[in-house]
Amino acid sequence: MAQKYDAIVIGAGLGGLSGATMLAKNGLNVLLLERHNVPGGYATSFVRGRYEFEVALHELSNIGPKDLRGGLYRYLEYLGVAHKVEFLIVPHLYRSIFPGLDVTLPVGREAFEGKLCEVFPHESKGIHRFLERVFGLGRDFARVVKERGVGNPLSMPFRFPDFFRYLPTIWGQVLNRDVKDRLARAVISQYWGYVGLPPSKISFLYLATTLAAYVRRGPAFPVGRSQALSNAFMSTFEELGGEVRLNCGAQKIITENGRVCGVITDEEEEIRADWIVSNADPVTTCRDLIGFDKVPARFFTKLQSSEVAASTVNVYMGVDRSPEELGLTEHEIFINADHDLERHYEGTKNLEPPEAIAVTCYNAVYPDISPKGTCIVVLTALKYGEPWYEIPTEQYVDTKNRIGDAMVTMAEKVFPGLREYTEVVEVSTPLTNMRYAGAMGGSIYGFNQPPRDNMVWRMGHRGPLEGLYFVGAWTQPGGGFEPCMMSGQMAGGAILAKIKKRQEVK
Amino acid sequence: MSLEQINWLLDVREYRRVAKNRKALREPGQGTDYTHERFREVVQRVVSRIHPRRMNLRVVEIIPQTATAKTFCFERVDGPLPPFRAGQYVNVLVNIEGVRTSRTYSISSAPMAERLELTVRDKPGGFVAPYLFNELKVGVVLETTGPAGHFYYEPLIDGEDLVFLAGGSGITPFMSMIRDTVQRQRPLRIKLLYGSRTPEDAIFRGELEKLAASHSNFIFSLVISEPPERYEGLTGFLDSEAITQLVGDVKGKTFYVCGPRAMHDFCKAALKEMGVPQRKIRRELYGAPDDVSKEPGWPEGLSEDMVFEVDVAGKKMILAKAGEPLLNALERSGLVVPALCRSGECSSCRIRLLAGKVFMPSQATLRESDRKGGYIHACVSYPLDNLKIRL
Repeated sequence: MAQKYDAIVIGAGLGGLSGATMLAKNGLNVLLLERHNVPGGYATSFVRGRYEFEVALHELSNIGPKDLRGGLYRYLEYLGVAHKVEFLIVPHLYRSIFPGLDVTLPVGREAFEGKLCEVFPHESKGIHRFLERVFGLGRDFARVVKERGVGNPLSMPFRFPDFFRYLPTIWGQVLNRDVKDRLARAVISQYWGYVGLPPSKISFLYLATTLAAYVRRGPAFPVGRSQALSNAFMSTFEELGGEVRLNCGAQKIITENGRVCGVITDEEEEIRADWIVSNADPVTTCRDLIGFDKVPARFFTKLQSSEVAASTVNVYMGVDRSPEELGLTEHEIFINADHDLERHYEGTKNLEPPEAIAVTCYNAVYPDISPKGTCIVVLTALKYGEPWYEIPTEQYVDTKNRIGDAMVTMAEKVFPGLREYTEVVEVSTPLTNMRYAGAMGGSIYGFNQPPRDNMVWRMGHRGPLEGLYFVGAWTQPGGGFEPCMMSGQMAGGAILAKIKKRQEVK
Repeated sequence: MSLEQINWLLDVREYRRVAKNRKALREPGQGTDYTHERFREVVQRVVSRIHPRRMNLRVVEIIPQTATAKTFCFERVDGPLPPFRAGQYVNVLVNIEGVRTSRTYSISSAPMAERLELTVRDKPGGFVAPYLFNELKVGVVLETTGPAGHFYYEPLIDGEDLVFLAGGSGITPFMSMIRDTVQRQRPLRIKLLYGSRTPEDAIFRGELEKLAASHSNFIFSLVISEPPERYEGLTGFLDSEAITQLVGDVKGKTFYVCGPRAMHDFCKAALKEMGVPQRKIRRELYGAPDDVSKEPGWPEGLSEDMVFEVDVAGKKMILAKAGEPLLNALERSGLVVPALCRSGECSSCRIRLLAGKVFMPSQATLRESDRKGGYIHACVSYPLDNLKIRL
């Protein structure tokens, strides 16, 4: 007789960890399978020499300082994860560097707007008008989340007027009406890299709520890096009676009469469960784990309108100099070749050096992240995964070094000495992301997030078969650390609601 | 109608555009067809080309190198050879009398060569090397991991002046790096200082001498520690005096050290004395310490032969010696723990310590959160107490 659980969660990325913990918290007997030897997916770290590098997290949203905790913190508190992690609050949003402009934007609505107007005084009116829209939408959206939906759709335009108005819009469309200065637009849109699409394509809802969240509560970063967060989830999950198997993935999802009913693990063991929650991407889940023939064709027809989002090239650098000596005094620094973000985005689809990079120096808010007198610097550029699929194997190492080298050169122009004092360096590519996280295209945001795939309209948590649910960036609410954790809450909640309904029927 | 009202209408009209756009993309032949062949097992297919988890390698030739060293030449039978960086290793997986264990060996052939070569020295008292020497014949298939490791020339920061300090069988990664440099005509200047006990023990000596004679950017110095009578070459150890004499000014040069542990300590001190900053020194560690009781921090007076009970939660109870890596004890008892570097670095053998104490030498590089959470790297963990662990 096969072992039996209430639920099996496939993949211990943040979505899987969150979903598993949510279910265990509510009394379910849950098994969490993870193919890698550490939990976390992208929320992990690795060690080279005397440096431990954060793999993916730049800034965490909706944690907030003690007196202004955000939704994510409250959820972590509810699960019993929050007290295991110490969060540092970053005092500024980002430093934005363009030819002829170098500006650091502070946290807080007034300070943020004040700084923008100081730099672009001729645009103050437009900037104010635009930020009104951003924060108005942010407030509406917070209420939608709190009330778990808009209720009667017909009342939506009256109860949530900003949410109703901006739900289908594109960021660039709204911004360009209010702000005419191209450089000002680029500075305000600087977080586009955090959402994976440029101003002309990204859902306004996405970028506006992201910006509003960071401005309001400040970005946060966990002590111990994101691995500490993943480890905290796992330990809470186990305390709640959950079982984790690392080094053991699922190779098949078993179905019976159009319903999922268990998995076959990498160790060839058959394990049964009523609910399967997949943190793997939906294509891998439905094609490779379940099998084409068992999934209604409609599922793939619907997926046709969703496109895999970009991946990254990261250059992880352990530097034998203090951040002050190198001038790296901000946590997040964006270096742009010019103000044409659309062109920077087009460059993410090729194998050429990027036109825009993020330089993250964690020591700015987290001095102990590396030994005294040293610092950790990570350069990040968005790059789509597909062009990397076809690189002849003998050119792979050279390609990644060529791009990595160009990124270091770009950063070195602003921070002289960076290369010279670097002690260890590691370059990761979209294939690295695929290798460790198993995500299609090495995507870091699941599917792209234009309005048609925004947090409301993208793929839901319920899968195409009864009992199957999705968590992670591919599903609602979308890409990013916070959304992934929230997807676990949402999918877990959906399963719990279903169980409750069934019991009521009985 | 105000401009704002017009804009409101334009925004709300987007509902229709989005719906139309989505509908159009879902028509046959439009959007992304995830049922297409190119999405089948796409992650696994794409990744395994560059980073195979496992490789099956068939011995095609065995070349004796010295009295104690042989080069095994392999072809891969389960796919093309993956790319790797000269200096990386593979972990060879073996099953010796029922014990499933593994050892890392640096690849001595150049990347993209037709064959993959591992050069192995038979160590007296060894477990895996003697097995390979006895069992590996032409035609035999060996299972290994994909190439791994971080000991290689890093073009982003290493510059063009390289000094290789090799000791004994530690020459193997350098051989790959030197072959790669000359074959691909990389604009590097390499000085190899190779410390060997006797001239006859020096692996690849003939090839290295030939390469040095025909390539002005490669200089080879053999330093013999136990010279025979009337030996005319360089003698002694790779100390600061020898290195200074052979290398000259250290400024701008990157140093790579691979060899026996004693040599590492020796070179470390020498390079420090010469004023080489830590950031310009790359080291390859082979496995766990030879004698853990000599490591800094080892509890004074504790005998390496002390035996402790280890409760492997949910599996079995085993015995483990204080002076032996826990990983080895686990493997001997038939338990399978994923392992790769076996040097404490890669975290593949990360397991949880539920009760008891272990000693981990400084070469164990744990994540901060893992250290706090009670995780250990079994390959360099030594029991100091009865233990309870979870795999």
